[in-house]
Amino acid sequence: MAELGAVLEVEQLLVGYTGAPVCGEVSVSLRAGEVLGVVGLNGAGKSTVARTIAGRQMPLSGSVSVQGFAADPDNVRFRRNVAAVFDDDLFFPSLTVREHLLLVARGHSMKSPDRAVDAELEFFGLEGRADVVPEALSSGQRRRLLLAAGLMRPSTLMILDEPEQRLDPLMRDSLAHRLAGHAQDGGAVVLVTHDPALLTSVASTCLVIDDVVTEVTPEQGASTIARS
Amino acid sequence: MQGAEATTLPSGDETRSTRDLSADITAFTQRSSRRYNRARTSLKDLFTDLYSYGLALGCAIALAASMVMTVKDALPGRGEAGSLRISDHWPTIPAPALWTLTVYAALTTVMILARRMGPITVQGAEGQWWLPLPVDRRPMVLPAFLRRCILLGLASAAAFMPFSVLTSAELTLPAHLLGSATFGAVAVVSVGLAGWMQLEPINPRPGRLAGAVALIPCAVLPSLTNSPWALTVAAVSAAVLLCAVASRTGQVRGADLIRGGAVAGHARSSFFFMDTNELLRALHGDRPIGSAHRAAGFYTRPVQGPVAALFRADIVAFLRLQGSLALPLLWLGIVVAVLFVDKSLPALAQIGVIAIAGCATTSSTGTVARRTALVPGLDAILPVSPLWVRCSRAIMPALVMILWMTCLTGILVLLGAAPPALILLGALAGIGMGAGAVRGATRPVSDWSVPPVETPFGPIPQAQIGSLLRGLDFTVLALAPALVSLYAGDVHPAAIIIQALFSAGALGVVIRRSP
Repeated sequence: MAELGAVLEVEQLLVGYTGAPVCGEVSVSLRAGEVLGVVGLNGAGKSTVARTIAGRQMPLSGSVSVQGFAADPDNVRFRRNVAAVFDDDLFFPSLTVREHLLLVARGHSMKSPDRAVDAELEFFGLEGRADVVPEALSSGQRRRLLLAAGLMRPSTLMILDEPEQRLDPLMRDSLAHRLAGHAQDGGAVVLVTHDPALLTSVASTCLVIDDVVTEVTPEQGASTIARS
Repeated sequence: MQGAEATTLPSGDETRSTRDLSADITAFTQRSSRRYNRARTSLKDLFTDLYSYGLALGCAIALAASMVMTVKDALPGRGEAGSLRISDHWPTIPAPALWTLTVYAALTTVMILARRMGPITVQGAEGQWWLPLPVDRRPMVLPAFLRRCILLGLASAAAFMPFSVLTSAELTLPAHLLGSATFGAVAVVSVGLAGWMQLEPINPRPGRLAGAVALIPCAVLPSLTNSPWALTVAAVSAAVLLCAVASRTGQVRGADLIRGGAVAGHARSSFFFMDTNELLRALHGDRPIGSAHRAAGFYTRPVQGPVAALFRADIVAFLRLQGSLALPLLWLGIVVAVLFVDKSLPALAQIGVIAIAGCATTSSTGTVARRTALVPGLDAILPVSPLWVRCSRAIMPALVMILWMTCLTGILVLLGAAPPALILLGALAGIGMGAGAVRGATRPVSDWSVPPVETPFGPIPQAQIGSLLRGLDFTVLALAPALVSLYAGDVHPAAIIIQALFSAGALGVVIRRSP
C-alpha cells in the first residue's frame, strides 16, 4: 500500500544483473519536497538502484511506484513526472546546445521555451557556447548540458546519478542551491552522490547502499563517503 | 512485461496532441540537422559523393551480371560433370522443393536478422533525447521503419534476380522480373513479421515460431511466375501487415528501440568496413548469456599449473558463450538436402555447398576467440607462453569441427558417396578447420590506407582482401583433401597423409604465429 502523499514508494526492491543481486533490499518512501541522498562504495550498487527506480532496468524483485504508478519509462505519465540524468554522453551531432534544450522544452510543452532555454544557458554558463554542436564542448560543458536538460523540464521526481561529476566547485554549489530550490517548490529528488558537501546541503535523508541497505541522516551519509 | 500492456498512452484528444507534438519534435530535429549539414556541405562534395555511389553501384551491378551470365553459360554442361554418387535406394527431393526450401531459408534469415536489428529502432541520440519526452513515439520511429522496409524490399528483389536467372534458366525476362518483385514483397512481409514480434503480442519463442510458420506460404509465391496473382497476394499481405504494425509502432518498448538501433548501427559500420568479426560480434553481442553458470562445477575443480587452468578456462568459456547447436545442424541439413535433390546439381556445386557449410560452421565456433581478441591483455594475466594461449583457444573449435566433420562424412559414407575411410579424413580435417576458426577470429582490421595493387585485371585491393580471407584460407585448405576424395569417390591412402599434414600445418601455423 503506497504511503499517502508519497511521490516515490520503493518496497523490498532487489536490484542486480542476471539474477544476482548487487546489494541488499531497498525500501524507502519519498514525499514531495524531500531529497533522498544515495551513497556507498564504488560498485556497491548505487547507480543500479537509481537506474531501477528510473525504470531503466528491471528489478529482480520488489516494486517501485511513482505517484502510485509502477515505474515504467514506456508510460507517458511516468515520463511526464520523472526526470532522470545519468552519465549518457549522447547528443545529436548536428544540433546545437540551444537546439538540444529547445527540443526538451518543446517536448514538455513548456509555455515559453526560448525564455526557459535562455535561463538555463545562463545558469549553467553556456551562453557563449549556445550555438555550437556538442562535439565542440568540453566534457564538463557536456555534463552541464545534460543537467540543464534534466533540470529545466517540469517533474515531480528527479533522479540524478552523481551530478557533481566533471563540474567545478562553483557549479557544484550552484547545483546544490538549484536542487534545494527544486525541493522547496515541491519536487522530490533522488541524488546519488560521492560529494559530502552536496549531500549535506541538499538531502533530507540518506540511504547507504551495501549488503544491507540502511537509512541514515545526511551527516552520517557524508561521513560514510569520507570513510570510503 | 509485454509491450502492448507496458505502454499506457493517453487517449482521445491528448493522444492526438502528443502525436502532433512528437511529429513537431521529429521535424524540428531533422530540420536543424539538415540546416547544419547543408551549411557544411558544398555542391562539389555532394556531386563527388553521388558520383562515387553511382559508380560503385554500377560496378557492383556489372560484376554481378557478368558473374551470373558466366555461371549460366557454364550450367548447360553440368550433366557431363555428373553429381556425387549417392546410392539409388535413398529417396530424392524434387528440385522445386529444394528451390522453395532455399527461398524459405532466405526469408527466415531476413526475419531473424531484422528482429535482431529491430526492425523498429531509434539511434543513440534519439534514444537519449526523444524517448524520455512525454509524447507518442510513433512519429519518431514510423518513417524510418517504413523507409527500411521499402529499401529492403528493393534490395531483396535485386538480389533475387541472379538466383532466379541461375536456377530457372527456362523463364523469360518478364517472369524473372515478376518472381523478383514477388520475392521483394515477401521479404517486406518478413520484416513486417519481425516488427510484429517486436510488439510482443505473445512470448518471443512462440512468436518466432508463428513467424516461421507464416513464412511457409510466402516461400511458394516467388515460384508462381505464370500469373501476376502471386505478386498481388504478396504485395497485399505486405501492405496489410505493415499497416497493422505501423499503427502500433509507438508501443514498442523504449529499451528494445535503443537495443535494436545499437545493433543495427554496429552491424552497418562493420559491414561498411568489411569487418566480418565485428559484424558477428554486432549480431550476437546483445543476446543475453543464458548459461552463465554452465560447467561451474568443472571450473572450480583444482588444476595443476597455469596451462591446465588456461585450458579449463577456455573450455568453460566456450561452453558458456557458444550459441545453440541449431546452426551446425542446419548446415548439416542443407548439405544433406543438396545431396538428395533429384535433378542433381553438378558435383562441383555440391562440393561448393559443403565447403560453404564447413566455412560457416567453422566461423560459428570462433566466438570465444573473437571475444578474447578484443582484450589482448587478458591472455597476459597467466604466466604462460602465447603459444599455449593460442593452442588453448583452438582446442574447443577443433573438437567441435572434428565432431561436425565426422557427422558429415559419416552421412556421406552412409549415402554411399565414399568409402568409410572418408570419416577418418573428415575428423582430421576438423583439426585444421578449428585452427582456421582461431585464425579468422584474430583477423586484423583491414588497412584502408594501403593502395590497391595493379594487376592485368585492373587494380585489386590485395591487403584488404587478404585480411578478409584470413581464416577462410586455412579452413578451405584443411577441407581440400577430404573434398577431393569425395569428388573422386575414393580415399587414397596418400590422401590421409596429405590431410594429416594439412591439418597439422594449419594448427602449427596458428599456434606459432602471433595474430
